[in-house]
Amino acid sequence: MAQSPLVLRDVTKRFGGFTAVQGLSLDVPEGRIIGFLGPNGAGKSTSLRMSLGVIPPDEGEVRLFGAAPNILSLRRVGFLPEERGLYKKMTARDTIAYFARLKGMSAGAARARANELMESTGLAEFRASRVSKLSKGMAQKVQILATLAHQPDFLILDEPFSGLDPVNQQVLEDLIRAEHARGATILFSTHVMEHAERLCDRIVMMARGRKVFDGTLPEAFATLDKGASLEVEQGFDLAAALAPKGFDAQRTADRGHGDAWRIALPKGTGPQDALRAAIEAGAPITGFAPDEARLRDVFVSLVGEAEAAVLDTPADADEGVPA
Amino acid sequence: MRNIYLIFRRDYFGYVKAWGFWLSLAAVPLLMLVGSLFTVFAAQSSPIRYYTVVEPGHVFAEAIDAEFERSEAAAMAQEITSQMQLPEGSMDNGAMQALRERKFIEVPSPASDLDGLRPYLLGEKFVSGPLGDKPLFAAFILSEDGKALEYWSDDVNINSLRYEAEDAVRRLARKHALEAAGLSPDFIQQADDAAVQVPARRIRTVAEQETTGGEVTLADKAPVFVAGALAYFLWLMVFSIIQYLLMGTIEERSNKIFDTLLTSVRMPELLAGKLLAVFAVTSTMMLVWSLFALSGSAFLATQVPGAGDMITPFLAAAASPQIMVPALVSFVLGYIMYGMIFMALGSLCDTIQEAQTLLSPMMILLMLPMFAIFIAFQDPGSPVVDVATWVPLFTPFLLILRMPHDPPMWEVALQMGLMVVTTLAVLWVSVRVYRAGAVNGASIGDLGKMLKGLGRKKAA
Repeated sequence: MAQSPLVLRDVTKRFGGFTAVQGLSLDVPEGRIIGFLGPNGAGKSTSLRMSLGVIPPDEGEVRLFGAAPNILSLRRVGFLPEERGLYKKMTARDTIAYFARLKGMSAGAARARANELMESTGLAEFRASRVSKLSKGMAQKVQILATLAHQPDFLILDEPFSGLDPVNQQVLEDLIRAEHARGATILFSTHVMEHAERLCDRIVMMARGRKVFDGTLPEAFATLDKGASLEVEQGFDLAAALAPKGFDAQRTADRGHGDAWRIALPKGTGPQDALRAAIEAGAPITGFAPDEARLRDVFVSLVGEAEAAVLDTPADADEGVPA
Repeated sequence: MRNIYLIFRRDYFGYVKAWGFWLSLAAVPLLMLVGSLFTVFAAQSSPIRYYTVVEPGHVFAEAIDAEFERSEAAAMAQEITSQMQLPEGSMDNGAMQALRERKFIEVPSPASDLDGLRPYLLGEKFVSGPLGDKPLFAAFILSEDGKALEYWSDDVNINSLRYEAEDAVRRLARKHALEAAGLSPDFIQQADDAAVQVPARRIRTVAEQETTGGEVTLADKAPVFVAGALAYFLWLMVFSIIQYLLMGTIEERSNKIFDTLLTSVRMPELLAGKLLAVFAVTSTMMLVWSLFALSGSAFLATQVPGAGDMITPFLAAAASPQIMVPALVSFVLGYIMYGMIFMALGSLCDTIQEAQTLLSPMMILLMLPMFAIFIAFQDPGSPVVDVATWVPLFTPFLLILRMPHDPPMWEVALQMGLMVVTTLAVLWVSVRVYRAGAVNGASIGDLGKMLKGLGRKKAA
């Protein structure tokens, strides 16, 4: 059986009187892309820093490649911290090569790898530019490349998309997929659920320092009450029409030309079953939409609207990327 | 080791590639060069001035001229014989005089009273002399009663001529008085020559005395100078690393790079690489400066006879294990001790402004050993130095300075042991402070809390 790159057991971290992470247990299986989700302040970064031994947990145990984080196990990891930082006076290529060398690559191999990565990501013309001369987004790309350069078995990316424009977010998504295809296990934190929806095959949700969910995307969506929206001509009592067929309908809005209804779907039924029942009941249907479940809805259902509101803070606009 | 080397290499070249490094590198040799050129230029460009003596005969004028010759020759003879270790009196006055140019030349007086001299002294009229026509710099006018030789000049800030004249008239008066008492000038000279000499002698064991004699030579003085230079060298090195360690650490903290680094290297590797890099940067500077000074000395040795012999005792003192072993221990431990303190404090600062508030107390901390070095150099047996040597922060500097004076071995061993213990303690605390600053973002304001916390942990 393949060894899990990362296992956390009942890990707790306190800063003074504040508990940043409480009793977190996590198993990151090999070869997966795991999304570590939660609003700012949920304890994601603290958990990741503990996972790498940057800060020690107050309680619990961290196993990185089967042992407490150490310099050898860390060589198999590529880490992109939330607080980005590079040496401003180094050139882009030297930066990538330097961090690759710190991870054990030889000077020649590190330099060649830096050239190759810059070439493939469109940064070739900036290889001799100092980091201080690069734009914020480009500097962040350089840091991401420095994280990947030594071809780690396990990538830990803390809010990797923040600070990137949509084009570069797509470039990063492609890079993550490529690393995954190469065989790397990837754990990335984000408070933008869409990235996780597109990339992850498993998600871990955090709120107020505690894990609130750990499972696959279908398992996450399964936690939601499923439903569908129907619009019928005004005056038609859809609740009364569907009740005998086992569907619970609630009028949600008066749309002027008709009424909007929300239908809760009992277990084992789908939106099409509700639609068929309405047609059979003779409902004058003017509109139909099955619920499109989003991870945000999962999060709302797990932690409540107030907590989830933090997720709506524009992520990419407010977070700086100090080069 | 590889990681230490990589951290060292990046930091070293990071510093060395900066303009500031090259400016600092060039500054000292340039300063030495400009300073010596300026001194030579100042000496050479100092104008030769005319003066005159208004008196019935030419007695005072001759006395002043003779005084100039005597004092110039004596000063040069002393300077050269002491620097080249030549036997006293081995250079004759003629040779001496050739080495130093006269700056004041007596010319015949163009007028017989002050009113007549006034336009010449004020520069309105010129007098003729061996270097052409020039204004008169000063005039000595003998008062009517003959009791004062008044010195008149437009520039009363230059007093060397007046001082020479004062010595001359004093010597003249003594000569006249002794002659009036019936003593001939030859007799006076014999009396002066008969004065008992007071030569300095170094006490040694009988065996040493038989081989080296009792003469005080440069070899006796060199160890003190070498020890002083080493202590000052260490101080200079510690002083110059402040900005590198403080600013370097602040830059990394503000660049938020520690998390990335600490997932690639161990904390001790990171710190060792950084300390070594700054050590190498300052060593590079010192080495270049020393090479410059050595080249200058070598050039001097080829140009000035006896200069080579002058350098040998210093090299011998520098190679002496009695000085070099404690000096090396002091260097390594002193550097680590101060380096770690500065690096730990730098890790608590976010901005240069914050660091600047730390610089003043650090400067004071560093000026204290400088004062102690000064006292130790003047009086190595001073109780102040004895006590200060036991203060671990001063020990690295003062231990070196005390070594030429043969302190008891138990004291040296104990002080070295104390330095080791203190350095380990400083390392222990600094690593924790550095971790708190670099990893957890602690600030200067948290330092007190942190130290209390460390104390409690240690006690527990």
